[in-house]
Amino acid sequence: MGKVSYKKLRGSQNLRQRLLLATLSATPIQIEDIRANDMLPGLLPHEVSLLRLLEKISDDCLVKINETGTKLKYKPGILMGGRHLVHDCGVSRAIGYFLEPLIVLGLFSKKPLSIRLKGITSDSKDPCVDTFRSTTLPLLKQFGVPSEGLELKIESRGSPPHGGGEVLLSVPIIQSLMAVTWIDEGMVKRIRGVTFSTRVSHQFEDTMIHAARGIFNRLLPDVRIFTDHRAGPQAGNSPGYGISLVAETTSGCFISADTAVSYARVDDGGMEDERQELMPPEDVGEQIASVLLQEIEQGGVVDTTHQGLLFLLCALCPQDVSKIRVGKLLPHGIEILRLIRDFLGVKFVIKPDPSTGTVILKCVGSGLKNLSRKSS
Amino acid sequence: MAKISNIHEQSHKPHRLRQAGPSKNTKKKKQHGGEDEKSATLRSSVKAKKLQSRSVEKEQRKLHVPTIERNYGEPPPFVVVVHGPPQVGKSLLIKCLVKHYTKHHLQDVQGPITIVSGKKRRVQFVECPNDINGMIDAAKFADLALLLIDGSYGFEMETFEFLNILQVHGFPKIMGVLTHLDKFKDVKKLKKTKQRLKHRFWTEIYDGAKLFYLSGLINGKYVKREVHNLARFISVMKFHPLSWRTSHPYVLVDRFEDVTPPERVRVNNKCDRNVTLYGYLRGCNLKKGTKVHIAGVGDYDLAGVTALADPCPLPSAAKKKGLRDKEKLFYAPMSGLGDLVYDKDAVYININDHFVQYSNVDNKNEGMTSKGKDLDVGEALVKSLQNTKYSIDEKLDKSSISYFSRNANISSEAQNDAQGNHEALEQSHSLEPNILGEETDAEDLDSSESSDQDEAAQKDAVVNGESGNSDEEYGNPKEQVEFHEGRLRRKAMFGNDIDDKDLKDSDEGSEDDDDVDDQSFSDSEFSEENGDDLERNEEDVGNVSKWKESLVERTIPKQNTNLMQLVYGKSAPSPINEGQADSEDDESDDEFFKLKGEGNKKSREGFDVENVDADECSKFTNYSDLKKWINEEICESIRDRFVTGDWSKAAQRNQLSTATVVDDEDSVSGDFEDLETGEKHGSHQREESGNGAMQEEDELEEGQRRLKKLALRAKFDAQYPFPVKLFHYSYEEVDEKNEAKFHRGQANESGYFDKLKEEIEIRKQRNIAELNDLDEEIRLEIEGFQTGTYLRLELHDVPFEMVEHFDPCDPILVGGIGLGEENVGYMQARLKRHRWHRKVLKTKDPVILSIGWRRYQTTPIYAIEDRNGRHRMLKYTPEHMHCLATFWGPLAPPNTGVVAVQNLANNQASFRVTATAVVLEFNHAAKIVKKVKLVGHPCKIFKKTALIMNMFTSDLEVARFEGAAVRTVSGIRGQVKKAAKEEIGNHPTKKGGAPREGIARCTFEDRILMSDIVFLRAWTQVEVPNFYNPLTTALQPRNKTWQGMKTMAELRREHNLPIPVNKDSLYKPIERKPKKFNPLVIPKSLQAALPFESKPKNIPSRRRPTLERRRAVVMESDERRVHALVQQLRLITNDKVLNSLKNVALQMKKRKLKKEQERKKLEAEKAKDEELSKKRKREIRRERYRVQEKLKKKPRRNSDA
Repeated sequence: MGKVSYKKLRGSQNLRQRLLLATLSATPIQIEDIRANDMLPGLLPHEVSLLRLLEKISDDCLVKINETGTKLKYKPGILMGGRHLVHDCGVSRAIGYFLEPLIVLGLFSKKPLSIRLKGITSDSKDPCVDTFRSTTLPLLKQFGVPSEGLELKIESRGSPPHGGGEVLLSVPIIQSLMAVTWIDEGMVKRIRGVTFSTRVSHQFEDTMIHAARGIFNRLLPDVRIFTDHRAGPQAGNSPGYGISLVAETTSGCFISADTAVSYARVDDGGMEDERQELMPPEDVGEQIASVLLQEIEQGGVVDTTHQGLLFLLCALCPQDVSKIRVGKLLPHGIEILRLIRDFLGVKFVIKPDPSTGTVILKCVGSGLKNLSRKSS
Repeated sequence: MAKISNIHEQSHKPHRLRQAGPSKNTKKKKQHGGEDEKSATLRSSVKAKKLQSRSVEKEQRKLHVPTIERNYGEPPPFVVVVHGPPQVGKSLLIKCLVKHYTKHHLQDVQGPITIVSGKKRRVQFVECPNDINGMIDAAKFADLALLLIDGSYGFEMETFEFLNILQVHGFPKIMGVLTHLDKFKDVKKLKKTKQRLKHRFWTEIYDGAKLFYLSGLINGKYVKREVHNLARFISVMKFHPLSWRTSHPYVLVDRFEDVTPPERVRVNNKCDRNVTLYGYLRGCNLKKGTKVHIAGVGDYDLAGVTALADPCPLPSAAKKKGLRDKEKLFYAPMSGLGDLVYDKDAVYININDHFVQYSNVDNKNEGMTSKGKDLDVGEALVKSLQNTKYSIDEKLDKSSISYFSRNANISSEAQNDAQGNHEALEQSHSLEPNILGEETDAEDLDSSESSDQDEAAQKDAVVNGESGNSDEEYGNPKEQVEFHEGRLRRKAMFGNDIDDKDLKDSDEGSEDDDDVDDQSFSDSEFSEENGDDLERNEEDVGNVSKWKESLVERTIPKQNTNLMQLVYGKSAPSPINEGQADSEDDESDDEFFKLKGEGNKKSREGFDVENVDADECSKFTNYSDLKKWINEEICESIRDRFVTGDWSKAAQRNQLSTATVVDDEDSVSGDFEDLETGEKHGSHQREESGNGAMQEEDELEEGQRRLKKLALRAKFDAQYPFPVKLFHYSYEEVDEKNEAKFHRGQANESGYFDKLKEEIEIRKQRNIAELNDLDEEIRLEIEGFQTGTYLRLELHDVPFEMVEHFDPCDPILVGGIGLGEENVGYMQARLKRHRWHRKVLKTKDPVILSIGWRRYQTTPIYAIEDRNGRHRMLKYTPEHMHCLATFWGPLAPPNTGVVAVQNLANNQASFRVTATAVVLEFNHAAKIVKKVKLVGHPCKIFKKTALIMNMFTSDLEVARFEGAAVRTVSGIRGQVKKAAKEEIGNHPTKKGGAPREGIARCTFEDRILMSDIVFLRAWTQVEVPNFYNPLTTALQPRNKTWQGMKTMAELRREHNLPIPVNKDSLYKPIERKPKKFNPLVIPKSLQAALPFESKPKNIPSRRRPTLERRRAVVMESDERRVHALVQQLRLITNDKVLNSLKNVALQMKKRKLKKEQERKKLEAEKAKDEELSKKRKREIRRERYRVQEKLKKKPRRNSDA
């Protein structure tokens, strides 16, 4: 009964956001020509893994991939959530890749979600799990997500290429979000951070901290960077180290920057035996401190990494006006804005604020409610 | 002084207490309370506490969670549904109400009738159709339901059915109206009936629900006074928002047109049609991509939505005491009131006699509003037409010359005349679209260009279409003009011009240049007629072409639209369907000459340089252009972003931006009225409009402070319980009142509620402020069409039956579909059979459900949740209990009400609402199970193991049930082990076949018997059928009953099939043979070994007496004597005992007799007394009757005399 009409899309770009929005808006999608002209056509392992994850947390969802993997049909089901779920994210992308959509989906599912994700906890491509703890979760709280039940626990760390990390994410359910008016960036009042290292000497961490502090000290005395050295089974399968910094402002904004250094993956790094030199920790610390300062300089209530998430959350709000300020609009953010328009029918008014070089966005939320939640 | 006071006192007459009557007592009581104050107070502190807490609780219970109300503009007319069984006077009531409001006589009531009922209020009357489908739909859009009840007959089923439907779909306001009260001749009976009906009505709704009495007809109309009262009640009625409706846009269609190209219809009469639906938007804002559901038809994409000028606007806001007669507007195109007369295939435009004066000022009733400043082309044209002194014919003769200069090839005089006639009329008629176009154009001047293009193209198309018409369509006139009773009546052929416009619309852009030409052409044509408009016209033309040239230049300075363009692209494509179409096109051109990867790069604009398969990554860190933050001066550049920096500068940073925003607001919203000041100074007739938020901006330049002020005002609102908001729903007001009460009671406890309200108020004001500073175009894009706008919805490919069977008496409801509501899936609802429905419902029997906007037939499975969380299927719904119903269909959000109906026929006498339900969740995973009992018999028994056959049919099945618990009837528990192997005993049959399959080896806790029956109790899942069938009642004649899937019972009845009977399930008389047990035999050897205690002692009686018994006893004489004596003694004692027993019995008998006698005596006395009293009463009554009769006779005699 009932012919399903699929929304047709092309290419593998923004697959994650497309799947996320399709699930939230309950729109079946069909994506064609996924890397049709590539050397390795079709979906990549992490994308397949993401689809499996979606199947795991939802019910009655349908994923059809053709033989070559260049065509995908996805009919979203009802988000179920649930406890004691386990998902192996694989090693082609870090856990951060999966966390971003998962956090939003968890909010709109039937039961509170708690899931154990296994894989790489931090790499240079995706935001690392520490950033999630320090920045993304407070961002959700701005939208009225209760803080109890919202938690990310890092059980063990894993660096690329072999991963072996494990985090435990729990997300509460909500009925609907709350619209925000969030244009006050405030001033940076403290900088916090975590360094981490797996299967390397903890000296690395101290060096990174020292380097980063060297830059911050001139601006702010309240800088505290913690170390998180893991050893043994908690350290995963490969060596690596990294740092995640977050600047908290007087108005409750969190601006983060993170990076991780490790050996490259086998597939994109050539032979395993000729290992290239890793970036020395001093440089890492200095670089990441500079990145953070750059983020602060850009302005906006969130950093560049969280732009997309912020837009999405605004679009999911009830039909009230949300007003936010971000630094520069990034390609990723723009793509998300377009996808939001396509899937949720929400358009943003985008106005630059020339005096500060920031952009102010305004939208009326789509009024999404948690439909899968059981009414008592 | 004392003297004076004394005199003063004397002048007063002291209050005299009542000496008689019921109020005598009450007064006394009160006085008593006053005298003894202590007695009035509570003695027990515990009791006092209890009372207090109770009162607090009661107050708390009254509070509602405040809901934010997001309708900012002018509210749409409130829908008053007049419902009642047939022949109860619905139409007459509407007619009387319309007459009361507008002083116009309404011929017949068809479709919604919009009426301006007050300065701030419009009402739309709808007559509810008499079938259940119509009732369901009407319940979904009613803001107020007038339930008409035939007083002489009493309540009818329809009323209660409708009440139930209303209750489920949100329970709007209800008023009862009793009619036909003139049929009562007896006043007393009338009074009693009224009372009875009122109380019955109250039990159904709430105590004190308003029930109106229309006492009778005068000249075929209800009494004026009563109608007036009813109208008053309607116009002060307050409405509260209903949750489903506030979250879904909907339109009650008051005008319906078929705009299919006539050629297509001519070729194929049954082709899919394009229709337009008109109506006020209600509920919430409608965005452009929204899908809609037309009740009784199906789901459709909106092919076009246009906001039209309000055909029945509120009177202007200028201060006036009352409504002047002229402004009492009404609009009812379907029933022929107002400007348009609705016909099946044509629309008559109707201009009332006294309006056809062509006044210089007012041409409102032609459905257009003058822009104010400068006249439009069309308007000027009309004016010039109006100002003429000559009669129409003369004028036409003259004016035809100008046309001839253009169309020289037509020469005949007759043609000449006719054609001129058409032309002129057409022009005057064409004003409407033209003016619309002009208006939008004027707006466009300051708006973004993306929609400019559409709009202009549309306008061009309009003009083009017209000029095209004037050129070509001579043989096919668009309007037929009749002079009818001195009144101009123009019959416009159905939808011709509109299609033209639409056709042009669809291929916009491609013929822009032609359009411009055409336009200038037509303009010049106008200018020939009225020279003075020449310059203006040309200006217009210039404008149009100008924007095309300077399109780019004009958009550049506007940074904001620029950024939006960058993100969303130039012409906003419709969100769905379009996707990546543009990139595809580009690719096809370049594919040959480009590298694969680069093809896409070029096609995207702006930021978007990624290719389609770009890797996705939310992190965007550019390490390459990192500044050297170690440098002192670079570091200092962001010093102010840190708390160590300059705080004032940082504050400025945030402030500056807000200031600019405020500036923006000022520039946009300069014309807002300042209402705040008046209202602040304590007048309670404040009028809060959407602009209210924007006051005093000139003085305050900060958004923050303004918001704070608004918050203060919200507090103020909360504290003063006056009816503050005329526009706003009573809901809030009630809350406010409650709250105010609360304030006086316990100020500290209402804090939370206060805070909630304040927050909501702030949010609302903020929304209004933010939305108001956008320009119209963007606002429309962002927010969608506002509620209260009059919309024209265009739908394509609607089945022709909708047009064919369209009936204006059956209102069309168009409801917007929310996110994810068009998907189908499983839903679980908590369902209860209606207690008036006679039968229980059967699982998998089709029922018709009404959920949200939809009505569809589906086959639910009923279940109940067991204590362990299992959902057990029920064959039938419980008699008086809720159960769960799981069914498949289009999803509706949780907490949506559901009405179930099984029979739609009108001829049904019983109650048609079979059940009501509420959606709990979407649940695919809900496993509904039913019990299954597998029965088997042992075929071989070992010690505690047995082989069970007939339980399973194959070894595979056995494998599935390994480990399952089994039980015998006698209660011996066991377990299924495995399929029986050959070697254990499952030997092949002697004839050499394979071993029998499906024999299970089970072990038991004890040895079972061959006669035992072995059970396996298990649960099996029940599938919910994937079936739903939307009710297409609007696609068939209204008098036909919709026929969907039939229930099993109906099918059996039709085909005359008996109900299948399973013989095994029948109850048979239980026959139990007496069980014969063999005597227990203990072997001799064992007996010998037993201790004495356990040895069998009662040796069974023998058939033959033992030897000892058989032997004769011969007594001696002495012995004999003794024996005789003993026997005699025994006899004596026995006799004694017997005697004494007899005595006792005798005494008892005597006593009983005595009692009996006494009772009889008493009864006799009682009877006597009763007789006496009866007699007395009779006499009294007789006396009274006699007196009454006398009294009656007296006046009669008087009157006779």
